[in-house]
Amino acid sequence: MNKFGSLVLAMSLVAAPAMAAYEGGDVKDGGSISGSVKFKGTAPAPKKLDVGKDKEVCGKTAKMDQSLIVEGGNLVNAVVTITDIKKGKKIELKKVQFDQNGCEYTPHVVAFPAGTTVEVINPDGILHNVHSYSKVNTAFNQAQPKFKKTLEVKIEKPEAVEVKCDVHGWMHGWLVATESPYVAVTDKSGSFKLDNVPAGSYTVEVWHEKLGKSTQKVTVKAKEDAKVTFEVAGK
Amino acid sequence: MAERGVDQKEEKKSYGSVFVLGAGILAALSLWAFLDDNITRRPWKGFQAKFYRLDYNKAQAAYDEEDKKLQADDKYKELSQKLAAFQASLADGEVGKKLNSQIAEEARVTVKFQEADQKVKDVKSELEEAWYEHDHAVQQKRKIEPYLEVIAALDKKKAVLDKELEPIREKRNQLKDEIKKIQSGAKEIETELVKMTGERDKWIRVMENVTFKLGPFTFPKIPKIQQVSLDEFDRNRFDQPVARVDRCQTCHLAINRPGFEKEANPYKTHPRREVLLADSAHSPDKIGCTGCHEGQGMAVNGVKQAHGDVHLWEFPLLRGAKVQSSCTSCHQDVQKFAEDAPLLAEGQRLFEQVGCTGCHLVKGYENIPKIAPSLKKISAKVDPGWMVRWIENPHKFRQRTRMPNFDLKPDDALAVAAYIWSQSKEEADQWTQTHPAPAGFREGDPNDIAKGKKLVETIGCKGCHGFADGEFSTPLGKSKDLVPNLKDIAAKVVGPQWIYHWIKNPRGFEPETRMPSLRLSDDEALSITNYLMSLGGRPDPVAGIQEKLADAKNIKRGEVLVRKWGCFGCHDIKGMEKESRIGAELTTFGSKTVEELGFGNRTDVKHTWDDWTYFKLKTPRGYATERIEQLMPQFNLHDDDIKALRTLLGGFRERKVGQRYLADQGLRVQQVVEGRRLMQQYNCVGCHEIEKQGGFVRKYYQENVALAPPPLNGQGEKVQSSWFYSFLKSPTTLRPWLEIRMPTFGFSDEHTTQLVNYFNGLSKVEQPYHYIDDRKFPAENLEAAKILASAEYFNCFSCHVQGGKNPEGPKEGWAPDLAMARQRLNPNWIIKWLKDPQKIQPGAKMPSFYPGGPDNILGGKEDRQIEALRDYLMSIGRGAAPAAAAAPQVPAKAKPAK
Repeated sequence: MNKFGSLVLAMSLVAAPAMAAYEGGDVKDGGSISGSVKFKGTAPAPKKLDVGKDKEVCGKTAKMDQSLIVEGGNLVNAVVTITDIKKGKKIELKKVQFDQNGCEYTPHVVAFPAGTTVEVINPDGILHNVHSYSKVNTAFNQAQPKFKKTLEVKIEKPEAVEVKCDVHGWMHGWLVATESPYVAVTDKSGSFKLDNVPAGSYTVEVWHEKLGKSTQKVTVKAKEDAKVTFEVAGK
Repeated sequence: MAERGVDQKEEKKSYGSVFVLGAGILAALSLWAFLDDNITRRPWKGFQAKFYRLDYNKAQAAYDEEDKKLQADDKYKELSQKLAAFQASLADGEVGKKLNSQIAEEARVTVKFQEADQKVKDVKSELEEAWYEHDHAVQQKRKIEPYLEVIAALDKKKAVLDKELEPIREKRNQLKDEIKKIQSGAKEIETELVKMTGERDKWIRVMENVTFKLGPFTFPKIPKIQQVSLDEFDRNRFDQPVARVDRCQTCHLAINRPGFEKEANPYKTHPRREVLLADSAHSPDKIGCTGCHEGQGMAVNGVKQAHGDVHLWEFPLLRGAKVQSSCTSCHQDVQKFAEDAPLLAEGQRLFEQVGCTGCHLVKGYENIPKIAPSLKKISAKVDPGWMVRWIENPHKFRQRTRMPNFDLKPDDALAVAAYIWSQSKEEADQWTQTHPAPAGFREGDPNDIAKGKKLVETIGCKGCHGFADGEFSTPLGKSKDLVPNLKDIAAKVVGPQWIYHWIKNPRGFEPETRMPSLRLSDDEALSITNYLMSLGGRPDPVAGIQEKLADAKNIKRGEVLVRKWGCFGCHDIKGMEKESRIGAELTTFGSKTVEELGFGNRTDVKHTWDDWTYFKLKTPRGYATERIEQLMPQFNLHDDDIKALRTLLGGFRERKVGQRYLADQGLRVQQVVEGRRLMQQYNCVGCHEIEKQGGFVRKYYQENVALAPPPLNGQGEKVQSSWFYSFLKSPTTLRPWLEIRMPTFGFSDEHTTQLVNYFNGLSKVEQPYHYIDDRKFPAENLEAAKILASAEYFNCFSCHVQGGKNPEGPKEGWAPDLAMARQRLNPNWIIKWLKDPQKIQPGAKMPSFYPGGPDNILGGKEDRQIEALRDYLMSIGRGAAPAAAAAPQVPAKAKPAK
């Protein structure tokens, strides 16, 4: 390698971690961030999806549109992350599951640190395909025929990746990869918790597939829980 | 006492000081001459010396850095220590002692061996002698027994000696091996170290390259002119091939070396060096620099001289983007250089499509068809008042039209209109009579208008036309629309009658038009007509316009004006068929010198070719004077478009580059160039992405790209040429889920062939035809593939139509009929497609089934499974009708193809 080349390489080696810049380690006296995400405005009526194919497998239960679920004023399936954390708990890459049972992705939104392997399960006994609409990560579109009960994909870089099944047009879900391990998806009560956060001041972001992003500044004190409530307006 | 004739005083006079002065001047002059010759007139020496220092220092720094890395590397440290320890031990340690004792032992054994060996040799000689005696006795017929006895005794002796020698020999070989082993004990470590230090030590070679050694001293390399001689590159005025000599690399020393990208010139690396200066492209050692960059390649006596920035040198250095002009000297296909020569590529497209060739002849561009519509039936099409206003200033009605503004006075515009109108009258009236107003037209019916609007938005009109301000599909440069924007169409046309018949069958009105038929039903055509008639108000009536247009005086004057302004350059006009282009030929325009360009009375334009050309395109009549009239109309081009056009014009030079330097000029390249031109004229890129460009209509399908026309990158490799030909002639339904229709263009046989060749050329298709022999499909393959395609495995027909049998679910989830594969697809392409659809068409809905095929079919061998699927696909369409035979040529109410 010539000098210029090595210089570029050296720079990229130095620069890449500087940008990715999350360093995992032991957290002493960590606090936590917990709270909930509220939906502001009138919640839309749940929409029934038209299951026009493979009805004997996919049509067993009524399919509802999962892209905007509000339960009692709480926003479900919103992804909560700390965007500006540089140092914190260790990233433990555990396999996560993405189930296609009954021609529906469960959970609808899965969030995890980048580098995680997603195990896509097909218990339906029919053909599905897993088609990612990603820009940062390399897009993939893999068939998962009946005989292939599981299939693994890895999301290498931070990105919210939409996944669709072209065989069953109504199927779509999200694989959200983040830079840090501080990520949670809101449950039925719209609540979330990020634990083992080192004391400090952070930007917490809520992302929802339909409603976009909003952020708040949160200060975490050692061994204490910082409460935060987000209010996301409907569009 | 003075001798006669001898001037004593003169004789005694000393000229020493004069000699000293003279010698001094001579020495100074010599020194000056030496310095002038070596330094002042050879500035390149300074450049080189400076470069060698730079190169050396960079190499040194790189070496140090690599060395630092090595020093920090534990493995390197360990290996070096091992080696050092071994070497030390070898020199005076244990290994050394062992080695020395072995060597001594070996010497001793060698002596012993030689002694024993000598004994054997002696016995051998004795044996020879004994045999001689024996043979002699035989010849003399004496008794031989005594001799045989002697021989036997000697044989016995030799056997004993041989036996003694053998262990000594073995011992000696063994010792030799051991010595060798000890001596090469460090070999492995050394090899590994060389591998590790390679990255570092290559910098030593770089440093050695710019220095030389004399005894113990190292000196910088002595500067030397670096020249490339290009035999038969140019042709002289007598059309004889002559060589060209480039010395540019005397100063531009790092032009083809990586690592100098951030240096200032002349030491900078060439941009995109890996591509542009590759051996297969423009290796500077093979084709020099001035072939592209111009300048005075031979000159090395100064920067200005070398760059040709001197008076009367005709080819000064082309700086920045201007170098793109040179591509056309050697390359026929320049539009494929959208990345490396974007201005040139854009300039060529503009030149061909804005209408320049209507007036200007340029070699290589002679056969571009007239870009504008025929005016032979114009009076059946447009409102007469509109026509006069349009001729006066077309940009007022349609800002982005390609038609230029001739800046005519109102009565001149009227005269031109009168002539064109009168010439078209007869044919137009005839057409109008045979194409009556459509029955059932409900003008202004809002439901019908809405229906028409919906059709316009879905069936494909928007692939070419805009229907609102700022809406367009295919841009032409930054300022023009390739296809008219129809936002005010009702203010232009005579009425719904013309629109109806025109959209139903464009070629019925104008046989040469590029507007295709979308195979509209009567109802569809009525609704679209209604919608179009709602766009823009009706034209302002002009009192007495018909009389004025019919006025013989006006017509006569109009004829003169049409000839003068050259309207027939772009339009077909009855009576003007034999006129030729009115503009100057531009074949060698790029080599015009400033002296050959007329600047008129303008003082604000710098006297350079660049500025002249820029302002000519910006203000076409700007160089006119009282005495010199200029005719070129105003195109209202964007500055970027002007620069693009100028780049192309700069390449119109009188150059005949030697054959061996030219880029591929073969048939395939010609076919691509020709076909692309045609493709652009018909605006295929309005809907389809081709050569990774275009597909502009896709912007309306962001919600669901699957409903947009398919991209045609790699189309030549994908489909069978015979099918493609038929499809272009008469499109059939491939994707029943699409609302947008592939139009029927009515291509001639010649144009269809050109288009097929174009796609084949792009895909480098060697073999365009495919013969499918059913007997060659192994039964085993077909059986296996049937299972693979079934619902138990890949379930192909979950999405793919199967011989007209539609899959379940909504149409947008469907995929093409696999029964068409046999006639349509290239069998080899199917293999590639099955292996990785995303690679061929990023974003394709077709998922990858491989790797990941089932283990229990065809032994789990994926390649065999893919081949089996191909065989199966090529067999299931058996007996299907040929692709095109099913559809009539231009069906009136046929099912729309998509």
